[in-house]
Amino acid sequence: MTEVKVKKESTDPVDIENRIKELCQQFPQGITDQVIQNDMPHVEAQQRATAINRLLSVGQLDLLRNSNGLLYRLKDLQSASKVKGSDNQEKLVYQIIEDAGNKGIWSRDIRYKSNLPLTEINKILKNLESKKLIKAVKSVAASKKKVYMLYNLQPDRSVTGGAWYSDQDFESEFVEVLNQQCFKFLQSKAEAARDSKQSPMVQRNSSFATSHEVWKYICELGISKVDLSMEDIETILNTLIFDGKVEMTIIAAKEGTVGSVDGQMKLYRGVNPIIQPTGLVKTPCGLCPVFDDCHEGGEISPSNCVYMVEWLDF
Amino acid sequence: MTTQEVRLCGLLLQEHFGDVVEKVGTHLIRCGVLTLRALAHETKLALDLVKKSLCVLMQHGMCTFGAGRRGPAGPVEYRISCERILHMLRYPRYIYTAKSLYGDTGELIVEEILQRGQMTMSCTVKTVADRLTHNMPEGQSMDYSEVVSSFSQLVETHFLQRCPPVASTGSSNTGAVDTPPPAVAQPSEPESHPDCYRVPYINLTGQGKRRRSSEDGEADQRAAKKAKIDNSECGDEGIFWQVNFERFHLHFRDQAIISAVSCKLDQTSGEIVRTMLRMSEVTTQANAAFTQALSANEIFRALPSNYNIARPILDQYLTLLVDDPMEFVGKTGDSGGGMYVVNLHRALANLARATLESVVQERFGSRSARIFRLLLRKRHLEQKQVEDFAMIPAKEAKDMLYTLLSENLVQLQEIPKTPDHAPSRTFYLYTVNQLPTARLLLQHCYKCFDIYLFVDTIQTIGNLIERRLYETKENKQVPPFSTIQNISSKRLLEKSQRIEAILASLQATGAETAQLTEVEEMITAPERQQLESLRHHINKLDSSENQVDETIFLLESYINSTEASR
Repeated sequence: MTEVKVKKESTDPVDIENRIKELCQQFPQGITDQVIQNDMPHVEAQQRATAINRLLSVGQLDLLRNSNGLLYRLKDLQSASKVKGSDNQEKLVYQIIEDAGNKGIWSRDIRYKSNLPLTEINKILKNLESKKLIKAVKSVAASKKKVYMLYNLQPDRSVTGGAWYSDQDFESEFVEVLNQQCFKFLQSKAEAARDSKQSPMVQRNSSFATSHEVWKYICELGISKVDLSMEDIETILNTLIFDGKVEMTIIAAKEGTVGSVDGQMKLYRGVNPIIQPTGLVKTPCGLCPVFDDCHEGGEISPSNCVYMVEWLDF
Repeated sequence: MTTQEVRLCGLLLQEHFGDVVEKVGTHLIRCGVLTLRALAHETKLALDLVKKSLCVLMQHGMCTFGAGRRGPAGPVEYRISCERILHMLRYPRYIYTAKSLYGDTGELIVEEILQRGQMTMSCTVKTVADRLTHNMPEGQSMDYSEVVSSFSQLVETHFLQRCPPVASTGSSNTGAVDTPPPAVAQPSEPESHPDCYRVPYINLTGQGKRRRSSEDGEADQRAAKKAKIDNSECGDEGIFWQVNFERFHLHFRDQAIISAVSCKLDQTSGEIVRTMLRMSEVTTQANAAFTQALSANEIFRALPSNYNIARPILDQYLTLLVDDPMEFVGKTGDSGGGMYVVNLHRALANLARATLESVVQERFGSRSARIFRLLLRKRHLEQKQVEDFAMIPAKEAKDMLYTLLSENLVQLQEIPKTPDHAPSRTFYLYTVNQLPTARLLLQHCYKCFDIYLFVDTIQTIGNLIERRLYETKENKQVPPFSTIQNISSKRLLEKSQRIEAILASLQATGAETAQLTEVEEMITAPERQQLESLRHHINKLDSSENQVDETIFLLESYINSTEASR
């Protein structure tokens, strides 16, 4: 801060520009006009404005807007150099795309932000794509919707859908296979525990598996082409819970224990259902697709039911 | 009362008591409370027929009467208990339970009493002993005292109870007839009577008599007269017994809980829960949410000795039961080595939930069941969240959700952000309400049962009205239940029964084999085949009825328990 307080007497435009750049380097998140004013109280507003405008026009400074006014920020040289040789419109579009980060941005949103006509934007986008500065990624949320992001970025999970998508198609077979494998693992563990003939408490405790163990098992199986994280496996294990085949308990674990997250460890175990299929669905009418339309005297009725006859003679 | 229940009640009444009673009963169900005169007028039946029908219903405890709206001086009004009529669909199960608990004697006792509604002890004992003797080989007979002891056992375990004396019924009803529904008043009434489970002393000695099938009706009449004379000597006139359905239902409920625990954990846990339930059988109120608290010490002492569970192991099992997410067993304190209760209502709710899940699973597949369970667990979810949690592709998930929604198994809750309910500014949350869904499924079950009963009836007696319906609709395909079969199946059954009776009597008199085969050949080969298939059909239908009843029972108990705890 002491440096900031040092007052420079010079009013040379180049000095002012350099001073602004220095300030920007000090505050990488950006500076407001107020900061510059405090730093150089002697410089007239007119001079300050010309200096800033020059910096903006040569692309060394970024103008951003946040909740409390305008912000100036130094543009990193790399990106400045990338868009070298392109016109202002291209730079603008590039900036917008850059700001969108790895979530990407839709071309219509670019239009709203840049106020450029769509045809123009399409031309620029094509141009940037051919220069390999940006890329188009198809979003899983809407298959027709292309979003643009910088070429070197890894698309966000919300765009690609994470490990469960390949080319924005949900890999339901892959999920099913993982689901079955996880269940197999837990079930074999539960069976081994049951056969161990130990005291019931020990039996129960040894039937539990942490999510880390399941993750390791799946990784070692090598059924997955992509790298699965432990969260991915937990999502799969959750589907098993919703299938009613698995139960989960959370226990406190010492920090640093393998497989613990925030001092918690998730334990899973395979369980048996509490009832066999209920009586209703063991009988033909319980499963009948036209059950609701079946009335005596109606087009579909118990007395002329073809299913019933076949079932009775079966 | 839903239409489905009324229909089913009608069919049940028709099957057990015939058309007239069915007409009176259904009318009474539809109208609620009626006087005798109104009933006769509206059903357009003769007054004495209505009277007799009411008597039949009253005998079986399905109908109650009391002073009408105009006070004790006004005409007596009748009301019918639908619930009690629906118990008829469970008769096979009651009888089977009695058989598995108390053997053939118990089976016959319950069967007789169910068939006649109410009976005196001496009468029951005699009938049962006679029937047992009849089925025994020549020269042996059943002793009355054995039947008496079985009867006493059934009473001690509250499976049978005394009918409330008529006079007190009248007086207790006069004050309360308007407010409480009879279904609730009915079971509490016999229990309030102090002698409800007291077996009277009867002086009945002797053995069952063999009824000769060759003896004609006159002999039967004589026997009946004699029975009447016998009755006066037994010393229990006026004390009638009825089946305590409530007690049977508690038994079924306990069995369901035990089997659920055994399935979920293991056999031993099931046995421990069985012991707990048995210990609190008589002390726990019928609709209590928990059993009486039992200490681990008590449970340990009460465990069957052949089970060999050491004390520390028992403690471990109890801890496991308490830890289980199903919460069948709860812990209420630490005294006496830990006080434990069985969470009856919770267990029923869990069983009902499992039933719903199983219905969804079987009807719509395991992925729909996954969505259904997901919604049960997470209460309210948006469509996108359902897709993400269940890991089902959006298209399929949407399809499944909409199917479930259209079947009313899943509900949709709209939460608008703005008062105009614009779809773009509204949250659409899917949810499952267990109680209404259970009610819905119960109606499904009734309908199913209804269909099976109906088809059963068509199969056995052949429904002429239906047949006429087919004939007018010529353009339809050939009627599946071929008309020829319909007409003859009733006759065929009668014929086969007749022949069987003849065969039995011939065998009893020691006829020659040639004679026997000759009689047997009175049923031709095609007839025999038809008979065979008919039996096959009826067996199938009956077993389906029983399976559906299993679901009905669970859902009913759940609904009742939830309503009771509110």
